[in-house]
Amino acid sequence: MIRYVSVLRTAARQQWVYRAELGMRVVQMALFMGVFMALWRTAYGVSGRAELAGYTLPEVVWYLAMTETVVLSSSRIFVEISQAVRAGDLAYVLARPLSYPLYQVSNSLGHSAPRFALNLLVGSVVVGIGMGGVVGSVPGLAAFLVLAALSLVLDALVAVTIGLLAFWLEEVAPVAWIYQKLVFTLGGLFLPLDMFPDWLRRIASALPFQFITYVPARAFVRFETQFVLRAAAGQLAYIAATATLMALLWRRAQRRLVVHGG
Amino acid sequence: MKTVRLVLGYLRHNLMSAMAYRGAFLMQVAGMMLNNATLLFFWWVLFTRMPTLQGWDLGHVMVLYGIVTVGYGVANIVCGNCFRVAQIIAAGDLDYYLTLPADPLTHLLVSRMSVSAWGDLFFGLVVFLLSGPARWTALPLFLVLGVTSALILVSFSVLMGSIAFWVGSADSLANQAIQALITFGIYPVDIFPSPVQLLLYTVIPAAFVGSVPMALLSDFSLGRLAVLLGFTAGLVVVARVMFLRGLRRYESGNLVTVRG
Repeated sequence: MIRYVSVLRTAARQQWVYRAELGMRVVQMALFMGVFMALWRTAYGVSGRAELAGYTLPEVVWYLAMTETVVLSSSRIFVEISQAVRAGDLAYVLARPLSYPLYQVSNSLGHSAPRFALNLLVGSVVVGIGMGGVVGSVPGLAAFLVLAALSLVLDALVAVTIGLLAFWLEEVAPVAWIYQKLVFTLGGLFLPLDMFPDWLRRIASALPFQFITYVPARAFVRFETQFVLRAAAGQLAYIAATATLMALLWRRAQRRLVVHGG
Repeated sequence: MKTVRLVLGYLRHNLMSAMAYRGAFLMQVAGMMLNNATLLFFWWVLFTRMPTLQGWDLGHVMVLYGIVTVGYGVANIVCGNCFRVAQIIAAGDLDYYLTLPADPLTHLLVSRMSVSAWGDLFFGLVVFLLSGPARWTALPLFLVLGVTSALILVSFSVLMGSIAFWVGSADSLANQAIQALITFGIYPVDIFPSPVQLLLYTVIPAAFVGSVPMALLSDFSLGRLAVLLGFTAGLVVVARVMFLRGLRRYESGNLVTVRG
């Protein structure tokens, strides 16, 4: 376990080296939140209603700040894994006394952690100033941090599983794109699932993509113990299922692995 | 005429290179179309909650997306290096273009093609044609407006990229300015407060990329078209002048590279 924590810490430290990229992420987050604050303000103003699908204007904007915090911190580790599979770099990592998939999960979480902290800070400052205050509560923030951590673990497991598909597929990027777009839409990145038309909300609620974005953000803006417990149980179930799938894939992948000298 | 031949020659050559890997080409095009479609998902859900927003409905937003994505597509298909001007200047990669007889700015811009930009172009056309009945009749105007959007995107990118002649590493600054132009371009300008709108008509001219062409398609006026064409031509000239002025300050990167 200590070995994996150490991988995570090293990956996190590496992220701080690329300050220009982090700076760009700050601007990107601030710009995006600025646009959506203006858009939602106009939408609420035009509708003449204080609430849309039970959400007030500050709630819907804070919801978006939280979903963006998670999504902009999510994993792209499948790129590294698929390149390592194609180039044969895997040979070096296999010699290490670590499980390769778990090594990559730790690596991915290490990349995500500093970005998550930065996005949360920037999103909160921009939206806090723009909306003139904070919604949610201390238990809501605590629930968000726990559920967001679980969602990043789930996302990292999915990303490593997609990366391992490189043993069978020439290009894994399309699989990653499809997963990402499903999170963006059915996962409720831009708007809470509660705003979807009924038929679509029922479909989205039955799918796992909500556990990446909707669940942590909804717990932040509207804390309910029952919801948080149900959500955490759902996330843990999908983490277990994805981890099992990842382990099975890795076992089969090792049989296909051919390492040439060089 | 020589410039037109250069542009067409590169376009043909780059397209043939891309088609050598047909599977990868189709995948990138389909991926980009899917990517753009998810952006429309937000608007579709929003308009199930309210029929219009400051006079904009889903059809209007689809046309806006159509113009911006066609503009983005054309810009990155023909001038695939447009977003990399600052990077090329800072790395000293201009040397290659300066040693050849073709106009260095045009040559630099057209020597690369973004494959995924074909996905933007196709997406824009499909979305426009689906945005309302009998869109075929407005297609010629739509394509002209797509080209003006592309010219604004390319010129603005050259203008921002040319800052690298003066400050060196302007890659990050140029990228942020270009991202701001695109981000604001795909939203109706009317949703923003007046001071932001003023910025979007001047410093970051996102209104001319999306909302102004959209207004022309829904309510055509010669005066508005003249303003758009005038602004586009002005920006093209300013970008070119800035690049050529900056070029006088350029020092070779003393970089040895091999080009295929």
